Amino acid sequence: MIKNLLLVLLGWMLLLGPAFGQVESPEGEKFSGFYPGINFDRFAHQIESSTAYRFYFDLSEVENILVNINAKDNTLSQILEVVFENSDLKFVIDGKKRVFITKGSRLDFSLGKDFFQIGEKGEQTDSLQGNDELKRAFTRNKLYVIGSPEKSNSATTATLTGKITGLETGNPVSGAVVFEKINYSRAIANEQGLYSFTLPKGRHTLFVQNLGGFVEQRQINLQGDGSLDMAIEENIISLSEVVVSSEKLTNVSRPEMGVQSLSMNTMRKLPAVLGEVDILKGLLTLPGVNTVGEASVGFNVRGGAADQNLILYNNTTIYNPAHLFGLFSAFNPDMIESVDLYKAGVPVKYGGRLSSVLNVNAKYGSKEKLKASGGIGLMTGRLTLEGPIGDKTTFIIGGRSTYSNWLFDLLEEKTDFREGRASFYDLNFNMEHRLNDKNIIRLNSYMSKDNFRFDQDTLFGYQNQNVNLSWTHYFSERLEGEFVIGQDRYKFGIEGRDNPLNAYDFGFDIQQDHLRADFVFEKDLKHTLNFGFSSIRYGLRPGYIDPFGSASIVNQEKVNSEQALETALYFGDDFEINDRISVNYGLRYVIYNSLGPNTLKTYQPGQAISESTVIGEKSYDKGEIMNTYHGPEFRISGRYNLDKFSSIKAGYNTMRQHIHLLTNSSSISPTDTWKLSDPNIRPQWGDQISLGYYRNLKANTYEFSLEVYHRSMKNLIDYRSGASLVLNNDIEQDILRTDGRAYGAEMMLKKNSGKLNGWISYTYSRSLLRTAGDETAEKINGGEYYPSNFDQPHNIVLVGNYELSKRVGAAVNANYSTGRPVTLPVAKFVYGGSERVFFSDRNAYRIPDYFRVDLSMNLEGNHKVRKLAHSSWSLGVYNVLGRKNPYSVFFTPVNGVLKGYQLSIFAQPIPFVTYNFRF
Amino acid sequence: MPNHNCQISFFLLLMVLFFGGCKDPFEPEFAETDISQLVVEGFVETNRAESKILLSRTTPISNATDQLMESGAQVSLESDSGTQWDFNETALGVYTHTGFFDTQKKYKLKIVLKNNQQYTSEELMPIVSPEIEEINFRKNEEGVEILLSTKGTSTSEYFLWEYAEHWIFRPRIQTIYIYNPETKEVDFRKPEQSISLCWTDNLFPKIVLENAGRYSGNFIFQKPIVKIPNLSEKLMQRYSINVRQKAISKEAFDFWEIQRKNSDDIGGIFSPLPSLIGGNFKNISNAAENVIGFVSMGQSSEKRLYINVADVFPWPVFIPEYEFCQVETTPTFMANYEFKFGSGVFIPAVPEIAGTTTIGYKAASTACTDCTLRGYNVKPVFWED
Repeated sequence: MIKNLLLVLLGWMLLLGPAFGQVESPEGEKFSGFYPGINFDRFAHQIESSTAYRFYFDLSEVENILVNINAKDNTLSQILEVVFENSDLKFVIDGKKRVFITKGSRLDFSLGKDFFQIGEKGEQTDSLQGNDELKRAFTRNKLYVIGSPEKSNSATTATLTGKITGLETGNPVSGAVVFEKINYSRAIANEQGLYSFTLPKGRHTLFVQNLGGFVEQRQINLQGDGSLDMAIEENIISLSEVVVSSEKLTNVSRPEMGVQSLSMNTMRKLPAVLGEVDILKGLLTLPGVNTVGEASVGFNVRGGAADQNLILYNNTTIYNPAHLFGLFSAFNPDMIESVDLYKAGVPVKYGGRLSSVLNVNAKYGSKEKLKASGGIGLMTGRLTLEGPIGDKTTFIIGGRSTYSNWLFDLLEEKTDFREGRASFYDLNFNMEHRLNDKNIIRLNSYMSKDNFRFDQDTLFGYQNQNVNLSWTHYFSERLEGEFVIGQDRYKFGIEGRDNPLNAYDFGFDIQQDHLRADFVFEKDLKHTLNFGFSSIRYGLRPGYIDPFGSASIVNQEKVNSEQALETALYFGDDFEINDRISVNYGLRYVIYNSLGPNTLKTYQPGQAISESTVIGEKSYDKGEIMNTYHGPEFRISGRYNLDKFSSIKAGYNTMRQHIHLLTNSSSISPTDTWKLSDPNIRPQWGDQISLGYYRNLKANTYEFSLEVYHRSMKNLIDYRSGASLVLNNDIEQDILRTDGRAYGAEMMLKKNSGKLNGWISYTYSRSLLRTAGDETAEKINGGEYYPSNFDQPHNIVLVGNYELSKRVGAAVNANYSTGRPVTLPVAKFVYGGSERVFFSDRNAYRIPDYFRVDLSMNLEGNHKVRKLAHSSWSLGVYNVLGRKNPYSVFFTPVNGVLKGYQLSIFAQPIPFVTYNFRF
Repeated sequence: MPNHNCQISFFLLLMVLFFGGCKDPFEPEFAETDISQLVVEGFVETNRAESKILLSRTTPISNATDQLMESGAQVSLESDSGTQWDFNETALGVYTHTGFFDTQKKYKLKIVLKNNQQYTSEELMPIVSPEIEEINFRKNEEGVEILLSTKGTSTSEYFLWEYAEHWIFRPRIQTIYIYNPETKEVDFRKPEQSISLCWTDNLFPKIVLENAGRYSGNFIFQKPIVKIPNLSEKLMQRYSINVRQKAISKEAFDFWEIQRKNSDDIGGIFSPLPSLIGGNFKNISNAAENVIGFVSMGQSSEKRLYINVADVFPWPVFIPEYEFCQVETTPTFMANYEFKFGSGVFIPAVPEIAGTTTIGYKAASTACTDCTLRGYNVKPVFWED
């Protein structure tokens, strides 16, 4: 590297107009390449390494220059023109491909008469179109110094405000996202184009993403509160809402792998089953995410069970993420800002589940003015209100409800379901209060309630109730802490009112109180440290049945309540070793105490746990530690950039899980219940090793990714023959400790922009179980590996959006997957004097394959900027082909003979229409 | 649920989830090896009691046939010293042998089917069951429990009990009269024509298992074998239970444990999970073939208990079949005897007496008077009064 400027003072230096400093032939070597915000020194080095060009400059003169260019068949001089535009640096390239950079005036070697023509010619051939482009390109690389350091000396952070306007129109650009890539802090411009967010002081690269527009960027040095107005290319008529750019930017470059982000805009375009944007259905379009059936509550990530997903909604844990047993997701789409799913590379701050973490980020209210949005569909309606309260506080409140009961009343009198009722609602209320620059307090609350019944006598219901308070504090410019305290509750119940004699209340519930502290410390440019702790106190009532009314003769029964404390300490480091290699490693140590009061059975040591090996009972006092499980979890992932457009990543992580869903999962069961680890039930353990290749093609228009993974799991829960899960106080006697392995490959090709966009993904995945070797009670399938209930090897998803016009978009979603495995009764025989059924090997058969195509269309109202209300229609058809995809198969005796049936839920094309508005 | 559910609105299909919903027949193609499997059941008695081996085949789930016995097979027991004993087919698919076998030796049970498929059991090691210490009963709020106490040893830790229940019951309406179609008269019943007192039985009710190893001294104390609920007819007059105790191996115990849980209640949401059943037989030429059944060998012990209604007094009885039984209020006179009683639907029950002369009978339905419709009026051979 040549670090000295060669000052060749030849005496015939001339002062020329800016930017036209080319001496070499205009047909010079062409470059393509993506230079993402690197300093000029490195840029020069990169050029030198691949070409014969040699740079001569003074390092101190170029230190404020950042090169951020996506060059495509540009000559070096074109590139440099852009880089130095409006700076007082000049350059000249001589015939020996030497590039001389000088301040103020440029070196000149020739006095050729065609000099100015060449200059003009250079301008014309510039494939970066026109002067505006040049200007924009310059502003990208200029370092803006914002705020004055004296003003707020003590603060470590500063608030940046500003206005985002359109480059052509000067109109405010609402909805533009301003963010930075280190912590992914972000702000969204409001209707006036105003944005505001707090950043640590110091150097940042800000990115501005407008819907449908390209990513703009600005270099800032934030020294204190200040403002930065930005003019960006806008696209006011196009609401062709492109995938949020953070994903685009990070797919190749972020160190973690197995992370999928979905923006609300992407999800809005997916055809929805009942016209409702549904994030869970959206997730199912991603590779590696499956479900066992259309109306199932859970989803399966990389061959893991539904209870192995941690679903977080602004710090709260959601135990049942669905309404009406899976028809709708529990999340109000208007309340959601973004969704991240970690299939691998789970950040070290999260833990407690084996398969994945789904982080649903809810919105906080607008700081500018009171706003409302909502929608009306056939079955549901929703309304969201948000706005500021005073200067420092914002709120957002959103609700959703069904009004489907009128439809039931329309049914013929004879129909069995006339007495059926189904209803749900959910409510969100979030507040954000900015105490000062250093302290932000947020309140997040959520509740949902479902009720439904098929007849007058039996009412099913469940509810989520979650509330938490978080406090974000900026200790210094580099240290940020967040403290969260909250409570999550989930409750399920059945009210049986068939007749007074056997009226009952059945139910179970979960309560968890949680406390956590998370710190992020930016040690230096290379290290970002994450550390903290979390503690969850669980309280479960796994099941009870109580008589209802004085006449009831139902016996009261109750499964012992369970308590436990799960504490985790963690430390992680994002280490950017150099431009090409970065690693992300962390350790999380989890300590789990199961607590009294409880009474547990004890079993003959060394023998299989069963009714016949009980040797006694042990009682524990309140708060007494029954036993402790503890161990480390490792999270390691690394990235190696092959070139500017592609990278490979590898990762390894381990997880532990202490709360288990007991489900027989051959179909939806409202009686699924949860169980905590205790001396008889060990925590689940799993690890995952994964490898990925990522490549962006055609200037990031296309994104390709390929990930392969292998997971091993221990102490999973499967059930013995004839297990009964309802109100079973000795559930350990029905459980078989099971090992699992899952492996697969996920391929995805995504087109991010253009009139036609979308993705196609193919997933090959296997999910296998095997009764643990030391489990002697029973060996399912002879102790061999057998497919899990959600082993669906092939899965293909196509999501396509086509912009017919600026206001009309059409979308198609096609989904194919292998039918899930089932265990079937295949034969019968008489033994011990009774007729018995012989079942196939566990999961030896499969239900027919699943295939579905949905169509939808979004119609936007006109886009006059100053219109009172914006509205849109979404309409479409779910399951256009009307294929009867079996949800489950079952056998039932008909005239004494067992007959098999397959049950389809959405067996007909289902049209839907929803009206959405915001004002 | 009928198929028209497919036509109703989509959201209702959610509702019908629990009822059956849009149902279509599902007829998967099962592998032949799954459908027709050999089922072996039995116990080899070592001490001159009858050993009985039952051979049958599984039948497709959709078949109406109950049981398909496997006839024409050769069943033999072979000791490790090479001696062989053959079983004889005494009934369709039932193979028996009575003999004495040295309990110190090891044996294998061999089966050759008509189609020349050969099967062999794993090694059978005879276990001599200790005597049953005691069978007694206890009356509580819910009824009567039959309790068994036995003491295991280090070699006989796992127990399987089979039991046979017999009891006397009486019909709701008891009559000593019989219509004689030849004379067209009503006579008194002879003892062998009695229909007012019958025995009935329950021979293969359920499997009871216990592991003595979890009790100190291997002592199983008052293990409930049978629960007789309140109002049961079993204790109407006299009840007998014979319990046969077999000591079995751990493997056999696990097999029966699964059997016990295996239920034919399948397909419902609340159904227990399906069971997988194997056993201790295999096909000599095809190890992969699944054979259902676990045959054990040993010397069983048995004990009988009688309970009289007086032992559990008071014991009200309710027999659903007799719930609506009544003697007719108007008598049938002699001229109408043939018309009334000839078909066998009615039986003369209560005489209508004018002065000292019987002028007719009030009738009752045969179903309410004839206990032989639900049992037998011949005393079982073992029965002690």
